[in-house]
Amino acid sequence: MRWGLENASVKFGSRLALDRVSLAAEPSTIRVVVGGDGAGKSTLVRALVGLVRLCQGDALRPPKRQIGYVPASAGLYVDLTVKENLAFSGSAYGVVGSQLAERSAELLERIGLNDATERLGGQLSGGMQRKLAVAMALLHRPSLLVLDEPTTGVDPLSRAELWRLISATAAAGTAVVATTTYVEEAHRASKVTLLEQGRSIATGSPRDIVSAVPGALGVVRSKAQPGGLSWRWGTAWRIWAPSGELPEGAEPLQAGFEDAVIIAALVDQEKV
Amino acid sequence: MWAMIVKEFRQLRRDRRTLAMLIVLPVLLLVIFGYAARFDVARIPTIVVGPGAAQVAGHLQAPFQVVGIDPDAGRSLVESHLRDGTAVIGVVTGGGLVLVLMDGTQLFSVETAQAALAHMTQAAKASGSSAPSLSVQILFNPHLKTSWIMIPGLTGLILLFIGTLITSLGIVRERQAGTIEQLAVMPFRPWDVIFGKIVPYLLLASLDLMVIVAVGMLLFGVPFAGNVAVFALGALLFLLVTLGMGVLISTVSQNQGQSIQLAIMFVVPQILLSGLIFPISSMALGVRWIAYVLPLSYFIDISRGVMLKNMPIAALWQWLVILTGMAVVVLGLAVLRFRRDLAPSTRRGRVPAVLADSAAP
Amino acid sequence: MTVLAQARRLTIRFGALAAVDSVDLAVEGGEVVGLLGANGAGKTTLIRLLLGLLRPSGGEALLFGALPSMDTRRRVGYVSQTLGLYDDMTVEENWTFTSAAFGSGRPAMPASISASSDELVGTLPLGVQRRVAFAVAFSHGPELLVLDEPTSGVGPLSRARLWQDVRDSAEHGTGILVTTHNMEEAAQCDRLVVMVGGRVAADGTVAEVIASRTVVEVVCDDWRKAFAVLDGAGLVVQVQGEVLRVPGSTDQVAALLSGHDLGVRLAVVPANLEEAFVSIVSPPPRR
Repeated sequence: MRWGLENASVKFGSRLALDRVSLAAEPSTIRVVVGGDGAGKSTLVRALVGLVRLCQGDALRPPKRQIGYVPASAGLYVDLTVKENLAFSGSAYGVVGSQLAERSAELLERIGLNDATERLGGQLSGGMQRKLAVAMALLHRPSLLVLDEPTTGVDPLSRAELWRLISATAAAGTAVVATTTYVEEAHRASKVTLLEQGRSIATGSPRDIVSAVPGALGVVRSKAQPGGLSWRWGTAWRIWAPSGELPEGAEPLQAGFEDAVIIAALVDQEKV
Repeated sequence: MWAMIVKEFRQLRRDRRTLAMLIVLPVLLLVIFGYAARFDVARIPTIVVGPGAAQVAGHLQAPFQVVGIDPDAGRSLVESHLRDGTAVIGVVTGGGLVLVLMDGTQLFSVETAQAALAHMTQAAKASGSSAPSLSVQILFNPHLKTSWIMIPGLTGLILLFIGTLITSLGIVRERQAGTIEQLAVMPFRPWDVIFGKIVPYLLLASLDLMVIVAVGMLLFGVPFAGNVAVFALGALLFLLVTLGMGVLISTVSQNQGQSIQLAIMFVVPQILLSGLIFPISSMALGVRWIAYVLPLSYFIDISRGVMLKNMPIAALWQWLVILTGMAVVVLGLAVLRFRRDLAPSTRRGRVPAVLADSAAP
Repeated sequence: MTVLAQARRLTIRFGALAAVDSVDLAVEGGEVVGLLGANGAGKTTLIRLLLGLLRPSGGEALLFGALPSMDTRRRVGYVSQTLGLYDDMTVEENWTFTSAAFGSGRPAMPASISASSDELVGTLPLGVQRRVAFAVAFSHGPELLVLDEPTSGVGPLSRARLWQDVRDSAEHGTGILVTTHNMEEAAQCDRLVVMVGGRVAADGTVAEVIASRTVVEVVCDDWRKAFAVLDGAGLVVQVQGEVLRVPGSTDQVAALLSGHDLGVRLAVVPANLEEAFVSIVSPPPRR
């Protein structure tokens, strides 16, 4: 089954929020969409699961019963207990009775909430809430799991556990699409899509994206910002020369994934 | 501290809903208390029957407004008119006695009439002419108890609160928590979600209604003279209107604060202008039309009519039809808007994206 | 360099629980210190103690060498997670309000945000909002800045620009304390303080915190199968594309994966900050 977006565009009033984006969601693969705030990440995943209409192009997805969706906001009921939340999600997808009990137990054990089933959703920490929301989306073993900024604002321990849960889901065959603003998270994916102002400016495996970096990257260890396309990194500056010729005083540097992402954004800005 | 004051004003300037309330509410209250809040009634529809009808009718002046004279009819005609609400006072002549029947559900009309009659008798005595002996009977609410009038009205108020305010809060809470998005992605049909949200409030409101009626009857002795089925029908239709209003409010509110503001603006005029407290008949014409637009006005008539007067459905069917019409319009609109939140992409293709209210990125 | 904020054996108890337990911490002018920890580790409580919002049960919290007071409040700038800006006022109005509140006269708005001075804050993209929040907090010239997750939710380019602002102010001698959940942010700090259960578990540069921790990198023909095996054995497996990273020894990993015919190639590599953090912070695996 081939799912994803094909040349999809979304318009809000006169504003083009998504501009002819194509993206494939393949089974057993984690695809991460990286972009800044306002880049269109949420719009992209919402178009994928069917929450917004496309004005152009196609969105291919399995039937509702096979989709799991975790929105950027809570995604769970703060005035229901952990158990009740799972029961509600389960019943919506037809997972009830002993099936629900088994699957809930399995997921709760995995996310470390098996001792807290009577706690209200609102009493859980941010990280635990997010883990529960993901568990709710996994009860019915969806074939497509879509997560919108699953780890923004989540503490590092919960984030690590969330990614293990997501990886396990992909390992079991699910197609996973997640959005993030963290470049290092995109590094975990097998496929990455860089989104900038509603457009996909680069796509492929992290290695592909790094090797596709044009020009030359250098480090300048001065206090003042060097001229040209540069950005702060730690106590030094990184400078990028599209022509391949680094200016005086710049030490050449092998581009890492984060550099590649920033350069791709700069390339895109120059074009526009 | 000055900085705080300036900041507060700046924020207020941009908060349109609060500004609207600041301006609209005082104007509303002014209009109401200026033109609508009157306890004295200017015209009291009266019918006169019996052999001396024409003569008696001739003597009746304002506030009595003679709307019918029938020399051949008797008490039963008067009673049915009073029950139907087409007249508030009925005068039965014949046999040397003048019997004045009054509709006890129109408290202020009755008081005004009693005062007017006393005045007329005084004037007659003063001018030396003989005053006929009057016998007054008050029907439906013989002791002119205020509680008997208020409690049926209260039933409407409860339905209004639960239907509008509480329902909209419940739905907006979901929108605020961001879970409406998920409901849209789950395999629910929009109808499942809408009814799932409305039905609990419908049941709660019905329960509350029965409790209030029971308490009214047991504690205050309010009668239930009429047909329970008619009352239930009226209540259901009115409830559908208020629930529709609640859902509609929730579709234009992003948070509970906003929905409360809107709900207040919808509920407060109804409390004051629907005849719950101030009789509609004494409102100035320029303001009275508002009462006819408010659903609560119709339900209060139905509620009081059925409980106190045993009004038959033949007299109430117009109100029931109006309520039905309101319910269809409001619910229809509400469901249409709510559906947009729940099923935005039912079609693909070259259709401009319709954005759900809460979805602005 | 002057010590701006200092905690000495700082402790606070809520009932029987010590939310902050004998913590030593110092922030000097010109450096960026990152505070890292899981939820409930005590980061927020520590900040509130340093700012004088809470009184310690033991030890001391010093601001500019003295106990926190109304005066010291003027010398500290704070940006909360929610930015503390009014969405329904323009940038300029927010700027004026804060300047008036701190009594700092009418300083000029920095170039980084003056372009949007007439826009309502609520309409600006998050990256710009964060820069505005930072500029506003810095407007009264504080010597110490406390930032709570300053780049959460913001894209890489915006993040770089924001850190530019942070570095600029550090270069002017300001001391900056950042609390963060994010490894990318943590990597930008001069020094990291890792908290676990109210105590300091690690204190040093990123390299020092990672120390000499290593993980085993697994490359094979079927990463899903390998993942299932290692995960099922209770190991903390991190996935990067199709490469797996597991703490432990190569012998241990090889033993688990043998017999599955996966064409496994193992290598020992340095741990990244997240892996180091997880191993510092979590109890040893149960299974």
